[in-house]
Amino acid sequence: MNSAEVELQLPADTQYVGLARLVVTVAARNAGMAEERVEDLKIAVSEATTNAINAHRRYHQDTPVVLQFGPSGDGSFEVTVVDAGPGFDPAPPAADRDWTLEGGLGVTLIRGLADEVNFIRGEGMKVHMNFKVGLEAENNSQPDR
Amino acid sequence: MDLTLEHRREGDRTVLEVGGEIDVYTAPKLRERLVELVAEGHYKIIVDMTKVEFLDSTGLGVLVGGLKRVRSHDGQLALVCNQERIYKIFRITGLTKVFPIYDSVDEALQDIE
Repeated sequence: MNSAEVELQLPADTQYVGLARLVVTVAARNAGMAEERVEDLKIAVSEATTNAINAHRRYHQDTPVVLQFGPSGDGSFEVTVVDAGPGFDPAPPAADRDWTLEGGLGVTLIRGLADEVNFIRGEGMKVHMNFKVGLEAENNSQPDR
Repeated sequence: MDLTLEHRREGDRTVLEVGGEIDVYTAPKLRERLVELVAEGHYKIIVDMTKVEFLDSTGLGVLVGGLKRVRSHDGQLALVCNQERIYKIFRITGLTKVFPIYDSVDEALQDIE
């Protein structure tokens, strides 16, 4: 299978997070992803896109955020979310997180749902996620502890 | 897809029925409703998520905020969730240990005096 990458540019406005979820999940279904995995992908894409749009709303309101996605050659589906914000260093998985904190759960969810994830901080932030397309994909949705 | 919110009294408890998608765009509406309910004296809230089609961490943050708000009045906030794909989000984030989560509104009502 050839890598067929699509690029989607979204205005830095929260109303477009739903559109990102819709477009990426249709592409993943077309690539043959099982429905249960599509649900995982949908949440992870929502988290990464929300972080990117929130960063742009603060610092680069007129710059779009960028999603690149498509099947990769090795039977997985890749999604990269790129923003031009200040970037962040994702907190390490915590055994005992303070539940009263209302933020920071997005990274936990991305880690729990994607088969692989890389947070790359350069000029801006790049979140690269990989999802196995087939049903045999390992479902590593256990809590961090 | 929008978010729908409807609430009703069941004795001194309040059932807030949420439907649709809860994300960064719609979550402020849920936050506002929870703030209003607590301000009006609703301190025992059951959030019925049976008709929720999507939930991500922004929505979780709003529910955590609601829980803190009712607890500051010695209240309770319970969730009704019978969909595995939604429950999974609470499990991954460890929030199943924080929220009482029920399969049905009836079960929640029986448990919350």
